[in-house]
Amino acid sequence: MPMKRSPEVRPKPADALVALAVLALAAALALSAWGGGRSGGLTAVISVNGQVTETVNLSRLSGPEVRELNANGYTLHVRLSSDGAEVIDSTCPNQVCVHTGHISRAGQSIVCLPARISVTLSGGAENGVDAVLG
Amino acid sequence: MKLTTKQLTLCAVLTALALALSYVENFLPLSLAVPLPGVKLGLANIVTVFALYALGIGQAFLILIARCTLGALFAGNLNALLFSLLGGLSAMAVMALLSRSKRLSIYGVSVGGAAAHNCGQVAAAVLTLGNTAPLYYLPLLLGVSLFTGALTGFAAGLLFRALEHTSLMKA
Repeated sequence: MPMKRSPEVRPKPADALVALAVLALAAALALSAWGGGRSGGLTAVISVNGQVTETVNLSRLSGPEVRELNANGYTLHVRLSSDGAEVIDSTCPNQVCVHTGHISRAGQSIVCLPARISVTLSGGAENGVDAVLG
Repeated sequence: MKLTTKQLTLCAVLTALALALSYVENFLPLSLAVPLPGVKLGLANIVTVFALYALGIGQAFLILIARCTLGALFAGNLNALLFSLLGGLSAMAVMALLSRSKRLSIYGVSVGGAAAHNCGQVAAAVLTLGNTAPLYYLPLLLGVSLFTGALTGFAAGLLFRALEHTSLMKA
């Protein structure tokens, strides 16, 4: 049973084009996903099963608040404060949401796939940056 | 598709190898080096790269489907099936296209596959969640895929070099 084809096992110049294409895609996505990133006056959008269940204006919170979210058999505790949000603990198996840590900029999000819960920060006032170049 | 006994056996061994590799890579503390959720080496991609070149797209497809189905069964998680299928099929489609180019080595093909795998998995996350929040991770995952893709390409390259000294893939 001969090989169908044998690959070139040493890097070739054209490989750099593939790497560049991947980088360009990453940069384009980063600009569109994070471009709106502003801090201050944030809103936390909480979704369960793809439906927005709660929208919290973080700047109007008098102090940090802990919300309990239950979905699909899992329980998450989300701490909301004026400077962002974080999942303190979760009963889900992989704990990716907890390890994501604290998020503080618009466009950032915490996702818990087992519970199908996401917390996304959006909106907010301008930050001190006038323009982003490059 | 008609398979000879040798082809069928090789497909079965490669499926088992891919399953073992994706299990073993859970024990690598990669998250210590790259503290991002969802970052994996994608060692099972070595099997897809190998099968694509050595056995052709038909058998590579069979191995991929068997690996994803069995992996989801072992994990007891049907959700995982969507993730591994979308990731694996995107990676294979892109690698099948890239490997047609004579100007690309196994590195370029593998990096393209790793990037496509991440795109497929993020697409699965978007579908599962019903919103676009997971897209936020994609640029980071794509950056990491340059390194993981090069690494799996290197590993697959070693495999092809080693095979030249055996009679396994000779007529």
